[in-house]
Amino acid sequence: MFDLNIRGSSYDSNFRLAFEASKYGWKHINFSYNQNEFDDAMIFFDGLKNDLKDYIAIDYTLNIKSNNPHEIRKITRRYRDDASCISLTGGNLKINRDCVENIQIDVLSRPYFKRHDSGLNHILAREARDNNVAVELVFCDVLHSYLSHRSKILSNFRDTYQLYRKYEFPLILSSGAKSVYDIKTVSDFKAFFTQSGLSESEVDKSFKTSENILNFNKNRKNLILKGVRVVD
Amino acid sequence: MKLKILPKSQRKHNHYLVLDIKSEIELSKNDFTSIVWDGCIRFQGENNTSNFNLWTIKLIKSDEISFLNEYKAILRCQRDFEDEVRSSLALIHNVNRKRISITCIGISGTIKGCQKFI
Repeated sequence: MFDLNIRGSSYDSNFRLAFEASKYGWKHINFSYNQNEFDDAMIFFDGLKNDLKDYIAIDYTLNIKSNNPHEIRKITRRYRDDASCISLTGGNLKINRDCVENIQIDVLSRPYFKRHDSGLNHILAREARDNNVAVELVFCDVLHSYLSHRSKILSNFRDTYQLYRKYEFPLILSSGAKSVYDIKTVSDFKAFFTQSGLSESEVDKSFKTSENILNFNKNRKNLILKGVRVVD
Repeated sequence: MKLKILPKSQRKHNHYLVLDIKSEIELSKNDFTSIVWDGCIRFQGENNTSNFNLWTIKLIKSDEISFLNEYKAILRCQRDFEDEVRSSLALIHNVNRKRISITCIGISGTIKGCQKFI
């Protein structure tokens, strides 16, 4: 039960969110910050992790928001060792393409953001699979929209599922919660995604993918080349 | 004249969802029922919602001191449609521009069985 994208803010707010998440059955959550807030948030990270160690495991995700490919590469290189997961908010086709081609980035978040389509095609899907970049779908986008806008987002989700089944790129599902009102139980979360068109095993696989990303990044320092890692 | 109660084999099979509700405003049982129906009709449509056999059994205000209004509720729904109801309720996020969150914390085949979740 892994959620890699809960919007982080102050210490108190994070504590309340994490406590609520642990009550609802989540095992591990990541608070996401953008590149401007990440350094400030690192100040209280150890304290927060210690205070919550009896309830839930936490980590930080760096969520890059930029439309400049050069800047994205620079930020990725700078924060690669500090963040347990690096995601990039998509939406712009150029950025989506740049993201799935960059092996240093873990997650392409919301490729459908502010678009009329899913933001992915067969080429991007293949690139995502080859470079092991996960595509993230956010529950909050559906939660906070309504009527035609909501149905368009659900339709974008379905287009993504179709590509996912064909090209088998890593897919992760996250809540994107900003407040305690946005956090749901794990079973509700699963129920929603099964209703939107995924099978139960695919939902479970997405949780496993999130776990794999975190485990892979723990060992990233030992990685020499793709497929070559220092064991001792 | 009152209708005779159906034999057991002919009755609909129900399951009971235990819900955790957080709200910025105070809710009555009637308010809650209309919120649930609106949510289901909005997400699943009129045709699907007609299968759910929804009925609010109980709405209990939580005693815990909190900065928001917390409730627990028991909602009846037809067996095999739990996931549809759950996902519809999970997508309710505001009522009259005030925040609300409904999430299912337990499920049981009997009302008595729901007590352990409350």
